[in-house]
Amino acid sequence: MNNEQQISILVLDDEPVVCKRLRPILEKKGYAVETFFESEEALKRFKEKPFHIVITDLKMKGLDGMQFLTAVKELSPDTEVIVITGFATMETAKESFRKGVFDFLAKPFKLGEISDIIQKAEVKVRGRIS
Amino acid sequence: MGDRKRIARQESFNVFFKTFQKILTANNQMLAVISEMGDKLSGDYIFDSQYIRSACREAEELTQELITGINILAPGKYTGLNDAFQHIQSEIQEEQAGRPVIPKTDHIMLYHLINRDFEDVVGAKNANLGEIKNVLELNVPDGFAITTRAFDSFMSVNNLWDKVKTITDAWYNKELSVEKASQQIQTLIADTKIPDPLKKAVDKASGLLYRGIKGQKPFLAVRSSAWGEDSGHSFAGQYLSLLNEPADHLLDCYKKIVASAYSASAMEYRRNKGFSEKEVVMAVGCQLMINPRTSGVLYTFDPQMPERDLMLISSTWGLGAPIVDGRSASDHFQVNRRFPYAETLITIAEKTEKLVLQKNGGTKNCSVPNEGRTAASLTPKQLKLLAKTALMIERHFKTPQDIEFAFDKEGTLFILQARPLNIQINRSMIIHDLPDILSRHPILFGNKGTIAQRGIAIGKVFKIFKDEDIDVFPLGAILVAKYTSPRFAKVIRKTAGIITDVGSATGHMATIAREFRVPTIVNTGNATALLESKQEITMDAEENNIYKGIIKELRNYHLIEAPIEETFEYRLLRRVLKKTGSLNLLDPTADNFTPSGCKTFHDITRFVHEKAVEELINLQYYHHHDPKTATGKLKLPVPLDLVLIDIGAGLVVNENEKSAPIVPEQIDSIPMRAFIDGLLMPGAWDTDPMSVGLGSFMSSMTRTFSTNMATPKDIGQNLAVISKPYANISLRLGYHFTMIDAYIDDNPNNNYAYFRFLGGVTDITKRSRRALLLSEILEKNDFFIEVRGDLVVARIKKLTTERMVRKLYLLGVLVGFSRQLDVQMLSDQHVHRYMENFNQLITSNSNIYEHEGSHYEQ
Repeated sequence: MNNEQQISILVLDDEPVVCKRLRPILEKKGYAVETFFESEEALKRFKEKPFHIVITDLKMKGLDGMQFLTAVKELSPDTEVIVITGFATMETAKESFRKGVFDFLAKPFKLGEISDIIQKAEVKVRGRIS
Repeated sequence: MGDRKRIARQESFNVFFKTFQKILTANNQMLAVISEMGDKLSGDYIFDSQYIRSACREAEELTQELITGINILAPGKYTGLNDAFQHIQSEIQEEQAGRPVIPKTDHIMLYHLINRDFEDVVGAKNANLGEIKNVLELNVPDGFAITTRAFDSFMSVNNLWDKVKTITDAWYNKELSVEKASQQIQTLIADTKIPDPLKKAVDKASGLLYRGIKGQKPFLAVRSSAWGEDSGHSFAGQYLSLLNEPADHLLDCYKKIVASAYSASAMEYRRNKGFSEKEVVMAVGCQLMINPRTSGVLYTFDPQMPERDLMLISSTWGLGAPIVDGRSASDHFQVNRRFPYAETLITIAEKTEKLVLQKNGGTKNCSVPNEGRTAASLTPKQLKLLAKTALMIERHFKTPQDIEFAFDKEGTLFILQARPLNIQINRSMIIHDLPDILSRHPILFGNKGTIAQRGIAIGKVFKIFKDEDIDVFPLGAILVAKYTSPRFAKVIRKTAGIITDVGSATGHMATIAREFRVPTIVNTGNATALLESKQEITMDAEENNIYKGIIKELRNYHLIEAPIEETFEYRLLRRVLKKTGSLNLLDPTADNFTPSGCKTFHDITRFVHEKAVEELINLQYYHHHDPKTATGKLKLPVPLDLVLIDIGAGLVVNENEKSAPIVPEQIDSIPMRAFIDGLLMPGAWDTDPMSVGLGSFMSSMTRTFSTNMATPKDIGQNLAVISKPYANISLRLGYHFTMIDAYIDDNPNNNYAYFRFLGGVTDITKRSRRALLLSEILEKNDFFIEVRGDLVVARIKKLTTERMVRKLYLLGVLVGFSRQLDVQMLSDQHVHRYMENFNQLITSNSNIYEHEGSHYEQ
């Protein structure tokens, strides 16, 4: 590995296909990736170990994405959150940004789009930790 | 005509044209929805099931609009469309609800018709074998599947579903032990009569199968092929296999195998894995028994140490069951995964016994003669053949494989079973090292072109410049070529990957690459220049990067990930696309071009569009022209009578010129204008129509017009229905019927062109040659081609205005160029010659051609 600190990413989406498709792309780029299908599990893990970047869906059973990202931001304000959702509305987008998310992406989206956003988030994170 | 009558007619015309335009719009939107759904499967997108739901809803609404439209244009004529729609809609809803639908198929399905798309019908084991037999064309013993539908009718007719449920409920509620429950269910099944239709179907299939082995008494291998078995969950050894059963035992065997679905261990297994009893769906495979000299099992990786890059093979004399059950000593071989598949370790066991076929059915143990006991049961040559074959299967299924095989007395290799192999790759080690390993390999190029099939390929570059290169293509190489060509199909089984400079992801070759799951990147621009022959490369067609050198780790990384294509959402999207996007109704003159022939929303769309155009043309033909639409003859410098029907801003007509003939300059329809410009390109119409020989003439005389060709558009005149962005052109030139349907506006997502060519004077060979010529030319120009005999259908979509215009121009040139050619198609050589002629024609006019459409550039 290069000397730079490895950036950690948590991906949360209740549909396995999303995690499955994202994981290889991120891992090949050298990110440390953990994926979750359930928000409670993800939050439990986040409490053990804060991640640099969180990618989360909004609509989920139990604790929904908005509650999850609120909790994440409270626990670790420096974590950059990227919201991906199949039910994008102006309201949810506004609310997300009010809560300080880094970016908001409506599904379906192209892999290139999310890669670009993650790269930008990484630059911001690196600026902070160096 | 009285005033009131005239006004009424005028109004009905207004409704007619408005409806026609609505149909056009819905047709266009529908094509866009379908193609967007297809795009999602490319792997380039992240989507979820919410997307699938909303896309299906949109497709449903558009299809309904289309049906409503055609019912207005042709009241009462196509009422069958509503039934077709409801049927398709309910199937899609079932799929979306996640309720596995037992497909309403026949009770049996012959092996030569099966591929992996039929897993629901024939179970995973049969589906894998069918794919291996029919797509990879490897030897699989011939046979047939007794389908899931047959199982459903066996269980339903006798009310077994309910009876079984009562017993399993009792077991779940701990009122019964699993052994008792299993025993009760199995007794029920044994006592149940096979329904007559099922019995008849099985008899018929057996008859067909035995016909191939005249004179011999047929014996069968009868195996379970349940849903889920041999896929993600292996259910290994849970269900029954019966070997060497006499043909007249078949129905008893069937019941035994169905009963094995309810063995105590299978029931426990399901409960532990979280399968519900409702998910028990059992198909059965019935195959001719082969008498093996040697049988065995091959793993394409060492499951414990996959990083060693070896295949493991175990084999013994006679039948392979003792190896699978772990009952007897067998020979072990380790073979390198890379060509020339060197043996790295050989352990020969002392084989004292072997399992063989009994003369009157069943199997028995017998002792191995002395000389065979310590001899290797596989020769080096057989090992190499096995290795090569297994890798082909692995590449196709994209996961490490566990393969059962046999060599018969003549030395022919048969594949008996293939399923995914679970391997223990140390994931965290690979993940830790991979980015570093990747960064050490230079990227030769990346993000060029379009991925047509995802996957990882490693191998040496082999460039194809001319047809002869195809014949010497080395096994396992990566094919690099300037153009895509359907001719590459010849070596598709040998290629590790395909990279082309030019070509489209929706072209014919790309479709073949997807069928064989060969990683493919097209339209890279200059791969042939960037890559050297024999250079070792790693092609990452997951993320579109080409690396210098061989990166085994990258391939291993993707082998441990279950392929994304197998995730629930991808499977669901594929399944609903089959009901929405597949097109079965290609040929409007075919017998199935009817409302009840519509099996998908795309079929309905196609049907409605075709009929709407027909109605419009009939209206113009029988009622002369309508005052609201400009209609008139186009004046052309070539001998072509063409009547234009303008249904909206397709022509510029001055009030005082209304009765004058229309000249090309007046055409304001984007696709029509481009087509006519192409037709009038210098040289396009110049090819001298050759004198038709007497033989050809006679054969044309004997081709009678079928009744459904006897519409005005076919025998009356050449017609084009146009509007500003639209053109539907029906031509009869010589003896060919050409139809072009195109839509071009400034949104590439709306744009498409459809070209259909049929018929011609002279015999079918010459006509087929012309079909080949047309399809080669169109394929090279990025069209998606389907050819059936002398029917050529070419489609292209979603290009920018400028590029679409160039395609229509090209179609114009092509129609002029090819109008009489079949008469001259004396040999296959002519196909090449005329193709060269055509290219020269385009090249010599490149100044015009390149300029065409440029004023639409944004």
